[in-house]
Amino acid sequence: MTKATSISDTTALRDEVVPRQVRQFGSARDGLREWRLQRLTAIGLIPLSLYFAASILSLATSDRKTAADWLSLPVPALLVILVVLAGIMHALIGVRSVVLDYVHTRARLLAAELLFRAVAVILAGGAVLAVLKLFLGR
Amino acid sequence: MERPLSPFMFPTWYRFQITSALSILHRLTGIALALGSILLVWWLISVAAGGEVFATTHAFLASPFGIVLLFGWSIAFFYHLCNGVRHLAWDAGYGFEIRSAARSGYAVLAATVLLTAMTWLYVFLA
Repeated sequence: MTKATSISDTTALRDEVVPRQVRQFGSARDGLREWRLQRLTAIGLIPLSLYFAASILSLATSDRKTAADWLSLPVPALLVILVVLAGIMHALIGVRSVVLDYVHTRARLLAAELLFRAVAVILAGGAVLAVLKLFLGR
Repeated sequence: MERPLSPFMFPTWYRFQITSALSILHRLTGIALALGSILLVWWLISVAAGGEVFATTHAFLASPFGIVLLFGWSIAFFYHLCNGVRHLAWDAGYGFEIRSAARSGYAVLAATVLLTAMTWLYVFLA
């Protein structure tokens, strides 16, 4: 147990341990941003995604009016927007890390990067627009 | 020299370990959920669009194939969620011993089965 506390004190969760200057191609300051964002969105997604999954699994096969009425309420509308944004950010970081492991040429890496970022932006924008339309249109 | 990449080392060179198997499964379910998010966003758009678009989407989701997709999505979701909590505990410095890493792995599998079963019992009974 004492060992566990000492590990959490020295993990990169704390700013002080992040090296401010590194030699060669090290990750000076920026390297941890994605790692941290992945964990932050993960923590946020625990309650958000449980709420979303519970709602969607019963709504997915229901009629349109039930779903539209649900999304015209302020709390579901806000939570669905949040879960979509956090989920897509989390997914993009995850997919990028998989791509980085298996795609090794620069051109393909750049193509994959552009493709996945574009898909993420389109999905996020589409979902937010859809929820806003239902919320504002009641 | 052609070197084998990590996933293809698994059956021939590495013996089965619960920890590495679950790690691979975490990635696979993550990719599955990323793909599934396209369907979920499409569903939101279809609710907003209404009419023909919603009718088609609804027919697809309510079809046997759609239900199988949703079922697979729910397994992937609960697995990735539970194993994600396990990863967060590791990030905080807990549970690194081999014994506890294996034990938490089996706990994640049990929780996945339980949560998926509970969810679908609820969907079909309610």
